[in-house]
Amino acid sequence: MPKYQATLLIELKEGILDPQGRAVEGVLKDLGHPVDSVRVGKVLEVVFPAETLLEAEEKAKAMGNLLANPVMEVFTLEALKELP
Amino acid sequence: MKWAIVRFPGSNCDEDARFALEKAGIRAAYVWHTERSLRGFDGVFLPGGFSYGDYLRAGALAAKSPVMEEVWRFAREGRPVIGVCNGFQVLTEAGILPGALLANLNLHFTCKEVGVRVERTDLPFTRLYQKGQVLRLPIAHAEGRYYADGETLARLEGEGLVVFRYAPLGGEKDYNPNGSLNDIAGITNERGNVLGMMPHPERAVDEVLGGTDGLPLFLGLVEEVAG
Repeated sequence: MPKYQATLLIELKEGILDPQGRAVEGVLKDLGHPVDSVRVGKVLEVVFPAETLLEAEEKAKAMGNLLANPVMEVFTLEALKELP
Repeated sequence: MKWAIVRFPGSNCDEDARFALEKAGIRAAYVWHTERSLRGFDGVFLPGGFSYGDYLRAGALAAKSPVMEEVWRFAREGRPVIGVCNGFQVLTEAGILPGALLANLNLHFTCKEVGVRVERTDLPFTRLYQKGQVLRLPIAHAEGRYYADGETLARLEGEGLVVFRYAPLGGEKDYNPNGSLNDIAGITNERGNVLGMMPHPERAVDEVLGGTDGLPLFLGLVEEVAG
């Protein structure tokens, strides 16, 4: 069965205070970078078997739904590719 | 009366929970998180610690453990369930209690004694306290900032599901240690049989350990059965 690699991005929902992002923002500013805001998220790269790209997309989204907490997070399927 | 204390990889308040339950006269046994049956137990305690090293999110991976089906069953059937600290995080991650516990506003792992006001005394967990009583309990967490969306928060307040709130011990203004919304330190479900809280009552059951304000919580569980 072909292998696929999905890149899942998990971020805090808009409007939820991200103290980690704030800390990073402060350091960037201290280092002379005029940034407006920083948000810290997570990237998961998952390699898994699937018959077709469509099936791979369904599986990737199912895993994203399982791993992100909808109370405070959203996930995006950033990339999906078949591995050679 | 016999309680199960669930051990996840990384639980570290399991022994404290056993000490507290047994001090109240409750038999307790450890149950590994891969167990699929909690038959024979009257209640279940999810202890504090760092299940799965807090990977992904605190409590997130433990919430998917096989034993959680049984914890769900206990919650549905009205049997008592207590989750403290990481146990509270597991309960919210599993969806058994609403909301989530986010990183403390100051990003510090905060380990100290705080004031905790009792908001309800009609629950088995709080029946031996006075309404409005301020307990002195230890906290030890980095992700304890209670968050829920506006609608959920309004429902919690409207239905009186907030059991414990951070409160000043001696007039201090910065009594909320983590930025929890509405100073929430502990909540229950609609039925009042599931309790999730960040402070550690099981670490406050003996004068030698600095206080006994947590002991009535465990003694109340016994009284509930005795009627």
